[in-house]
Amino acid sequence: MDRFKGRPKHRSKMDSNEVEKNAYLDNELALMDKLGMESKLVTDDLDTLLDNDKDLLIRVEELKAQFHDRAKTPFSTEEDADDIYDADEHGARSQQIISARSDAGNKEVIPPENFSHVCGEIYRSSFPRPENFTFLRDRLKLKSILVLIPEEYPAENMSFMEETGIELFQVGMSGNKEPFVNIPSDLLTKALEVVLNPANHPILIHCNRGKHRTGCLVGCIRKLQNWSLTMIFDEYRRFAFPKVRALDQQFIELYDDTGIIKLATENNWLSVEW
Amino acid sequence: MSITENRQDDDDEDVICLDEEIETGHSKLTILHPPNERIVPPLNFCPVERYLYRSGQPSNVNFPFLLNLKLKTIIWLANEEPQDALLEFCDEHNIQLQFAAINPDGGEDDNPWDGLTEHSIRNALQSIVNSENYPLLVCCGMGRHRTGTVVGCLRRLMGWNLASVSEEYRRFTGSRGGRILVELLIEAFDIKSVEIDREKAPNWLLTALS
Repeated sequence: MDRFKGRPKHRSKMDSNEVEKNAYLDNELALMDKLGMESKLVTDDLDTLLDNDKDLLIRVEELKAQFHDRAKTPFSTEEDADDIYDADEHGARSQQIISARSDAGNKEVIPPENFSHVCGEIYRSSFPRPENFTFLRDRLKLKSILVLIPEEYPAENMSFMEETGIELFQVGMSGNKEPFVNIPSDLLTKALEVVLNPANHPILIHCNRGKHRTGCLVGCIRKLQNWSLTMIFDEYRRFAFPKVRALDQQFIELYDDTGIIKLATENNWLSVEW
Repeated sequence: MSITENRQDDDDEDVICLDEEIETGHSKLTILHPPNERIVPPLNFCPVERYLYRSGQPSNVNFPFLLNLKLKTIIWLANEEPQDALLEFCDEHNIQLQFAAINPDGGEDDNPWDGLTEHSIRNALQSIVNSENYPLLVCCGMGRHRTGTVVGCLRRLMGWNLASVSEEYRRFTGSRGGRILVELLIEAFDIKSVEIDREKAPNWLLTALS
């Protein structure tokens, strides 16, 4: 990358057209870099060059395709990889662990990562995998699960829940990711309505890592318990570590709880039980 | 990038220092009033199981919060006495304060940085497996290592796999991370040495043992 040092990058001040044009230029320069050419060539030279060299043209087209594919995947810019549920990874790892453990004839239970008791019969965790099912069924004796991701629930989790009669609630939200993606307050209220209802207990709240979305929801429960914001943030950070998001904390602070307080009071769900 | 990260770490340290000063007794910072109509849980507070809680040393500002928990027992994991305010609070509200001494022979020389012994862990667990002591709070100076040791041994008693036990322990250890010695102590602890009276055990423990 050193060779591009001289190029100014004032992205923030450019309009979208310019950004696009520059992104294109970046790609071309990176291409030339890949092809081992001098980057002082400008785009016009490259076109002339390609017209005269069919082999080079093919290689360039291939490389271009790779670049554009990569740009399209959501992992690069859109969302934190942690926030995205990856079905393949989910299944593969579990298979490994389960077969390893049945060999050992082990009676230990495996709680999901980032698992904790929240209050009353409310629990939180990351995405439960098949190796965690015994724990959820035999230890927590769950009645329901509230999932905060918008993606479809994986088949193995669905069939586990059907077998055990655990009810699934889904309030899909994408995480508070800077700059402009926000969890809408009414979604949070909907989620709280499920969580606070004793008819659904014991209940497990989870998203993908159990850090951000789950952290926001638990933060709002703590607000209903009248915790000071400082200690709510402290708890949020403990579970989100090392990926703490200022925006999540801001969300917890700004969340308007009048709607849910009214609803919960009418249903006699307050104060939240320990 | 690495410079910004370091800065963040430093900020973390600042927050922690305030409390570590209390732990080492250099200065006592007392906050008398909680923010309006808000309650303040003690540092590192978290529910462990139903009616079983963990935290750092509670101080004045936390007492309204503790009243919500309707505690019957507090297990204090240190040889030295906790702050007078906590002693008075327990007195006033009929909360039994148990001292699970770190080293019963250590006396005044007891070093707060020393870990727990097998003996003191067993003492604490013996109270935890008896539901007559509930609701129950387990705490030490910062709610990190000593409390973490006891909770870790309890998790093993409940049949948790060690990786999950370690993950939970480290969640509460702050920016300086976990101590290998604590984890070795948890791994080596003889869970069979805890005597459980099934008549008195909390429900979640019975579920775990069945």
